[in-house]
Amino acid sequence: MRRLGAGAVAIGVIAAVALPFLLKSFGIYLISMWAVLTIAAIGLNLTLGYAGQISLAQGAFVGIGAYCVALLTPEGFPYALAFVGAGLLCFAIGWLLGYPALRVQHHYLAFVTLAFTTLVFLLLRNEEWLTNGIYGINAIPRPTFFGWSTASALYFYFFCLGALIAISLAVWWMLRSPWGRAFVALRENPIRALSLGVDTRRYTLMAFAIGSSLGGLSGALYAPLVQFIEPSSFALGLSFNLLMMVIVGGSGFFFGPFVGALVAVLLPEWMRIAQGYYLILYASIVMLLMAFCPSGVIGLMGRAFNALSARRDRAATVLHGERVGA
Amino acid sequence: MSAVLEVSDLRKTFGGITAVDGVSFEVQAGEILGIIGPNGSGKTTLFNCILGQLHPSGGEVRIDGSLSTDMRPCDLNRLGVSRTFQLLQVFPRLSVRDNLILAGQEHRGSMLSRLFGRGDAGLGEAADRMIEFFRLSHLAQQQAGALSYGQQKLLDAAMAFMAGPRLVLLDEPAGGVNLTMLGHLRERLAAYHAERKATFVVIEHQMEFVMALCTRVLVLAQGRIIAEGAPQEVRANPIVVEAYLGR
Repeated sequence: MRRLGAGAVAIGVIAAVALPFLLKSFGIYLISMWAVLTIAAIGLNLTLGYAGQISLAQGAFVGIGAYCVALLTPEGFPYALAFVGAGLLCFAIGWLLGYPALRVQHHYLAFVTLAFTTLVFLLLRNEEWLTNGIYGINAIPRPTFFGWSTASALYFYFFCLGALIAISLAVWWMLRSPWGRAFVALRENPIRALSLGVDTRRYTLMAFAIGSSLGGLSGALYAPLVQFIEPSSFALGLSFNLLMMVIVGGSGFFFGPFVGALVAVLLPEWMRIAQGYYLILYASIVMLLMAFCPSGVIGLMGRAFNALSARRDRAATVLHGERVGA
Repeated sequence: MSAVLEVSDLRKTFGGITAVDGVSFEVQAGEILGIIGPNGSGKTTLFNCILGQLHPSGGEVRIDGSLSTDMRPCDLNRLGVSRTFQLLQVFPRLSVRDNLILAGQEHRGSMLSRLFGRGDAGLGEAADRMIEFFRLSHLAQQQAGALSYGQQKLLDAAMAFMAGPRLVLLDEPAGGVNLTMLGHLRERLAAYHAERKATFVVIEHQMEFVMALCTRVLVLAQGRIIAEGAPQEVRANPIVVEAYLGR
């Protein structure tokens, strides 16, 4: 299984590097959006999938990160500084948002985070002196690093892909550390975890803070990708979309957000061949997937692999038996 | 001998119902104290108050002489106090080995050092030894949720011992376990006690298990202690027979 997984990752990376050379600019834009939203979904997967804390605030954190970059870079702040600042700001706000999670759980927590998203949306829309309100912010520049400009769609895609790979490796490493085990314990049985010395309060806050900071970093890439941002892009719809990415891909599976973002970003575009019916078709596919495989696409693939392995083992046993018999 | 655990006039009420009513006792270092009593006599509530899972309505708890009444379960655990629960409490999606590493990892360094340290928090070998001690070696890489009930009970107990606690509170460790596994569990607990000189407090309904394992028994009924003494004395006590054994 592990060898198969490593092979799939290698093929995925090669495909991600080669694909933009086969696509036109809109295609490159779409896969850049996939890379950017995958980062936000990885953050939500950490909070929800691993630590079990439901959040409908991830879209708001993408917005905070995007506005952070859109407001700071025209003022002369280096992009790298704005990028790190977006992550740190969202980490701090995410930490504070984690406090309600210490008191309420499940759908109650969902409503708390939903209220937060609405609050952020209202602030972005109403505080015109800072955010330019409904008119949004345009002409957000793409960064240049040591003379390498990411202004072209292709180069910006590679910048997003590099950020996605770096963040994925960091999250993979964290989940392999004792923190990852503590997050799973928090999700599966917080009372038992507490009795084993796991400071569930601190890990809950940390899960929220890290997940939110990844939302912020995603936003910091989103702003220069679309180059125009306005408040409605970060309303509840984005949070629901990110939640769908995590669930459809496979909540609590490391590669779930990658697949979920692929489904959420690319599938609607592929469905456009159905013209006016494309959203109906897309929604039907998602509903069917959820009805028949609540563990998401990765869960479905895992089940298929296990079934194939079991069949292969049975066949090997029969063959061995026949040989012994002969 | 010094008292590892001191419980003084502990009370817990839920609305108008008094679950624990002025319970006082001490547990000496190295002792195995059994707590028995009919269902609803307040045994698990007593455990939950001792271990910080419930806040007592009155009285106090001391661990090694220090007041622990307001401490959180995770802080108590780091002081060397561990427990099992009446119902199975393993982490089903983690492997047996990872369940055990998790049970000990929070005792290793600071939160930050655990992030940058080894993935197994340096507990891989200790986990393997514990797996071997509880004779679960063939299941080390299995997901805990795939184990039989008895095997999960063994794992649950092993997790309580993983951090090398000085005081272990076991809530019905034999509950729902078949006779073969029960003997195995009792033998492992006795072996651990002999090896580490840890102090046990055991809630149990299975009288043979209590008689074989415990050095002293305390009987609860309606939230109060009605008898206390050596296992054979308690078994012969007419008050206990009437309140609990029913013959």
